[in-house]
Amino acid sequence: MLAACGRATTVTGVLRVANDAGFGGAETMDPYDGNRTWPTINMVFDRLIGVDKDFSPIPELALSWTSNEELNEWTLVLREGVLFHDGSEFNADDVVYSINRMIDPEFDSPVRAVLGVIESVEAIDNYTVKLSLSTGEADLPSLLADYRALMTPVDSQETIGRAPIGTGPFRMETFDPEGTTVLVANENYFFGKPELSKIEIITFADSQSAAQALAGDQVDLLLAIDGKSSSIFGDTSKYTLQTIPSGDWNAIDFRVDRKPFDDARVRKALRIAADRQVIADTVLGVGGGVPACDTPVWTADPYRWDGPCAKDTEGAKALLAEAGFPDGIDIDIYTSDVEVHMVELVEAYQQQVKDAGIRVTIKMADASGFWDDVWMKESAFVDSWGQRPAAQVLNEVYRSTAAWNPTGQVDKALDAMLDDARSTKDLAQRKQKYIAVQQHIFENSGIFLPYHKTLTRVMSSKVQGIDPIVIDAVRWERISVS
Amino acid sequence: MQCDGSELAFRDNGMKNFARRALFTIGAFVSLAVLSFLGIDALPGDGCTALLGRFGTEAKIAECRVEHQLNDPVIVRLGSWASDVVQGDLGYSIKRDEQVAQIILPRIRNTAMLALVAAIMAFPTAIAAGLLIGRFPRSRIGKAINTMGVVAMTLPEFVIATVLWLVFSIWIPIFPGVTVVPSNATFMELLPHIWMPALTLASVVFAHSMRTMKAGVTTIQAMPFVESARLRGTKERVTLLRHILPAALPPVVNTIAVDAAWLLTGTFVTEAIFNYRGLGRLTIDAISDRDTAVILPIVLFSLGAYLTMSLIADTVVRLLDPRLRQHRS
Repeated sequence: MLAACGRATTVTGVLRVANDAGFGGAETMDPYDGNRTWPTINMVFDRLIGVDKDFSPIPELALSWTSNEELNEWTLVLREGVLFHDGSEFNADDVVYSINRMIDPEFDSPVRAVLGVIESVEAIDNYTVKLSLSTGEADLPSLLADYRALMTPVDSQETIGRAPIGTGPFRMETFDPEGTTVLVANENYFFGKPELSKIEIITFADSQSAAQALAGDQVDLLLAIDGKSSSIFGDTSKYTLQTIPSGDWNAIDFRVDRKPFDDARVRKALRIAADRQVIADTVLGVGGGVPACDTPVWTADPYRWDGPCAKDTEGAKALLAEAGFPDGIDIDIYTSDVEVHMVELVEAYQQQVKDAGIRVTIKMADASGFWDDVWMKESAFVDSWGQRPAAQVLNEVYRSTAAWNPTGQVDKALDAMLDDARSTKDLAQRKQKYIAVQQHIFENSGIFLPYHKTLTRVMSSKVQGIDPIVIDAVRWERISVS
Repeated sequence: MQCDGSELAFRDNGMKNFARRALFTIGAFVSLAVLSFLGIDALPGDGCTALLGRFGTEAKIAECRVEHQLNDPVIVRLGSWASDVVQGDLGYSIKRDEQVAQIILPRIRNTAMLALVAAIMAFPTAIAAGLLIGRFPRSRIGKAINTMGVVAMTLPEFVIATVLWLVFSIWIPIFPGVTVVPSNATFMELLPHIWMPALTLASVVFAHSMRTMKAGVTTIQAMPFVESARLRGTKERVTLLRHILPAALPPVVNTIAVDAAWLLTGTFVTEAIFNYRGLGRLTIDAISDRDTAVILPIVLFSLGAYLTMSLIADTVVRLLDPRLRQHRS
């Protein structure tokens, strides 16, 4: 526990990561559980398919993958000779077990939202598995690269939460999600022995105290800091600051099954009346976000559509007049400080749209009941989502039948376009179809989605090997501390 | 605490007093437990919504409520909780999937350690400073200490904490800035992390007892018995320590009792700033999680801290004040 004494330490080979206390003690190492602790799970377990720096799929535990012509049957060939931390060998049975847990309707893992297209999984031999899908899905490899789609050993459900056994670069020594979790290097890691001997994940309930810990050399890495406070770490000889475009977004959702949002003209007016760049700069700080034209597909995604969607006050007024609101419109929007940026977003929106005659009343809801009592229940409310690949986010949030379709919009035309896009084999054609989907959303949707967030990460300059990319793509075994 | 002539009457009175006090204490515990239970129950959400979070479907929440008997009437749940507690079982936290005793005992220990160190830093020095400032009101050092104490008392804890952190962790790095050891760390592992939060808490409470002491000394000094001691030629040191100090202490003891109880229960901000793993952070988490099983023992601990401290204060005052113990044999 040398490094844990908190004094400036010169021990090399130990990385001390500050982590938030997001689930307040309910954290588990079960990657398929809603309270999975991240990014610790990614140090202990591996996926079948990983992502490269440009977000293209690369082999991890699967060496290769092929599909049939309809894209609804995929065959994966597994890496041989991989050992779990307890010495047992990884094989097709573990894949079958893991994927069955991910898609089990009874267990209802959040991963099911990503990989629910998988209907069954079958071991062909020790190192070959076949996945059968309910529909063609050209981007299955990207979906399998979800940071939670990790491989766990057969029959591990009961023990995995606190005593996880994975194949990953580090194995669990002490699991203490409210204190300090300690991981040690897996010398037999199939991508090579990790550079570090140990990783300590130290929990901070308060982001300010985490920043204090970095300034006092008690931790080496803060995964995310508020962009506005990054100036504390301006000394480049001591700290490395990285800004990383991400797929995290906020939105204001308008229920299309309630008046006046049932009118597509009103919805479009509400969305084109605001300047997205100004909102991003106001809410996130300058450089804190990238404007989006109501598309949930983020900037680094190959299917991203970039607009145009400039502020159009006159156009918004005309649409409102046409819909029967020549004198403007009064609306209530519910928000809460349940997450950062959610209150600021509505305040910035209120200022932006008043020129178009849209008079917003901000309704503050209690943070503790927000997701249960307000989200998807009131007529208009703020929203927040994490990064997801296009094929996932479009189906998870916009498809008519999606459990968390927050506006309740039933749009059969959109569903058909999504089905068509995901089952198109040619990449260029598929991209055209996904762009058409996003344009369709811009015309019709009840979701005002002004930006994707840019994350700021900061670390001691002693830390090497972390590229300025989202943490899902970081290779933990290549990180070193000098 | 009045007593009439005979020793017997005093003892009798003492017993009565004790009985009344014990009854009051039990009553306070029970009514506070009931009130807290009902209060937490009235808040929106419960342990299952806290556990399952944003994506808890209605079916899953319903299943969880059945599993943890949350559908029973509140009075039934209160009753079964109380009967478990009486049998020494503090219960089980749904959110944390852990026995409550395992969760809160290390936290209580950590908070108690922090309170103890802060108390040792603050109270003896406050008494000494108050005595000297009261005795030598014109001394410059005394005035400086007085001013600093008052400033520290009026500043919010997060300001004091930030200044201390900047000075002792960044400019002159002698103390670790935040706590990075687990909640169940050994005493020796925890010790280096205790000084800064303890100093913060000590600065908050220091001026209360220092100023009470100073006011007491100023009043007592003007009393005839002090003058008579001086006229008898008693040495100044003896006058100060034997005559003035004991006479000025009783009100200070009461101030200290209140502050000591606060040190055990009111340290949320300081603990958060220094990432110190005590009761404060746990309390905040438990309330937002509607984690009744964790909140109730903490509430009762807080009440216990206040009652115990006031009991100790009464006892100490009784020992200090000869008028209250003259009938003891």
